[in-house]
Amino acid sequence: MIQLERVSATKGRFRLAEISFALAAGSYGVVIGPAGSGKTTLLEVLAGLVPVREGHVRLDGVERRRMPPESRDIGLVYQQAYLFPHLSVAQNVAYGARDTETQTEVVERLGVAPLLARDVAGLSGGERQLVALARALARRPRLLLLDEPFSALDPRRRALVRREVRDLHRGWGLTTLQVTHDFAEAGLLGDQAILLDAGRVLQSGPPAEVFGRPASPYVAEFLGAENVFAGTARPWSPSGDAGRSEGAGDGSALDPEADAPVVGDRQQAMAFETGTLTFYAVGDFAAGAGHAVIRAEEVTVARDQTYYSARNRFSGRVLEVATLGALTRVTVDVRGTPIVAAVSTQSARDLALAPDLAVVVSFKAMAVHLC
Amino acid sequence: MVRHRLVPPLLSIAAALVASFLLVFLAAPIVELVGVGGGEGLRRLSSDAELREALALTALCATAATIIGALCATPLAYLLARHEFPGRAVLSAVLDLPLLIPHPVAGIALLLVLGRESALGGAALAAGIRIVGTPLGIIAAMLFVSAPLFVSGAREAFARVDPRFEGVARTLGDTPWRAFHRVTLPLAGRGLLAAAVVMWARAVSEFGAIVILTYNPKVVSVLSYDRFTSYGLQEALPVAAALALLALVPLTVLRALRVDRREET
Repeated sequence: MIQLERVSATKGRFRLAEISFALAAGSYGVVIGPAGSGKTTLLEVLAGLVPVREGHVRLDGVERRRMPPESRDIGLVYQQAYLFPHLSVAQNVAYGARDTETQTEVVERLGVAPLLARDVAGLSGGERQLVALARALARRPRLLLLDEPFSALDPRRRALVRREVRDLHRGWGLTTLQVTHDFAEAGLLGDQAILLDAGRVLQSGPPAEVFGRPASPYVAEFLGAENVFAGTARPWSPSGDAGRSEGAGDGSALDPEADAPVVGDRQQAMAFETGTLTFYAVGDFAAGAGHAVIRAEEVTVARDQTYYSARNRFSGRVLEVATLGALTRVTVDVRGTPIVAAVSTQSARDLALAPDLAVVVSFKAMAVHLC
Repeated sequence: MVRHRLVPPLLSIAAALVASFLLVFLAAPIVELVGVGGGEGLRRLSSDAELREALALTALCATAATIIGALCATPLAYLLARHEFPGRAVLSAVLDLPLLIPHPVAGIALLLVLGRESALGGAALAAGIRIVGTPLGIIAAMLFVSAPLFVSGAREAFARVDPRFEGVARTLGDTPWRAFHRVTLPLAGRGLLAAAVVMWARAVSEFGAIVILTYNPKVVSVLSYDRFTSYGLQEALPVAAALALLALVPLTVLRALRVDRREET
């Protein structure tokens, strides 16, 4: 288990400040954050390459703050690979290998065998990353630290290598922490996501929670949430208040029987007012929330109002339709407020979505996150 | 507009003329020296035993000084390249001092420290080791004036090696020393060799400090001066040319190393 407790470290002029998070043994953590947020420095702190000024670094419950890197039983792969240029590919892979058997297994699984006879200087960026990964894994470390290790691989190879790393992680019970800019990769690989910015942890938790329930509007926007609204929240009773979506202005009423959200012990029902719109939200919210976040994939678009179970429903007109492969982003103007929906491209075709078309957008109260 | 467009070519021509003047000024004396005295200098190698001995002594002492300098200065250069610590700037300045003072002054300063009247020189003499007036004095003088050049070159060589290479080696199980000699040293090797070559060439060329510490036995630079003051230009010329040729050897090696590096990159 990796446990960081209020860790502060300085590298040049950059400072990691009061970093705290825990990653369970054998789990896969992903570190996300903008460029220069301290992701690589965080890995170097865990590797023992950047000294800790304050706080505790515990690996498997034991304080390792002052332990030298060579004693930590870790593997570190940088984005730039840092293959030793004076050694051959085979010598690089064998550099710290635990034994020949492990080395051979890793070489075969990652498909490095055809590269072994080549010079480091002749490798492409992707091949370098592959060899660096093999070099780190051949040591069979207990903790694997990966700094965007797949960024230079072509999409096909990336998927294959990602799967192999995930399999090795599971098979060996290898605790892994990976820096990535790819949110899809973070969601795909990670058991836990740690969001860094300016040397501080903004949020950590399961990726679904971090992406679905961002701790702040900044986090939401960084994570690509399309609908972030500023406003005010007030308590709302699903049974007592005739909750009604007020944005349509066309008299469309909510059928209270169709959407009576079950409010759990720790959940609150809130009405969030932004401009002329009111969103209904149900969830575990922090007090004083001033923003509502709705992910575009939670928003549905329809041509009429025949049946909806969603608590929030608004009539509007399509502003923009942008097709990105299998997904289409539809921006709908609801009384001057743009609401973005992500629908399948097939649905967009079926609905014949086009600018200026009158549509109804809807989303459930549970899909509205207040922060 | 036309005038504006003409300025850059005019400036380029002026810069080229000034640069050519400097180039001719620097190269002409050496070319003339080697051209006039080089042939005779090479011929004298077979007949002039004193010249042969002076050349051998110069090369041996310069090599010894370079080896001692490289061994002692490499850790220092690594420290300066890799670590921030209080007094780093002062240490760098101290290391540059021998380059800034006139070399006869360096010789006098060394005489104060290594002469028989000094604590160190007296202790060495008591132990049966004479420094002044022996090849040890030559080596000391060469080391003093040329070691800073090695430190500077080696420091640059280490600074060019990304510390993350060492970091990766450490995560692969290497101790700091093992990472240094398995990764950093090979990667900085070419730069260290270039620094050693520069140091050797500077040591070979030294005169001012050596002539104060050890006039006899004579290194080539002292012999050249001796022939000039005793017999005039004609006798000094072949010796001076031989010294210039000896200094050209490391220069050629250094240039070859740089060409190789460019080809690699």
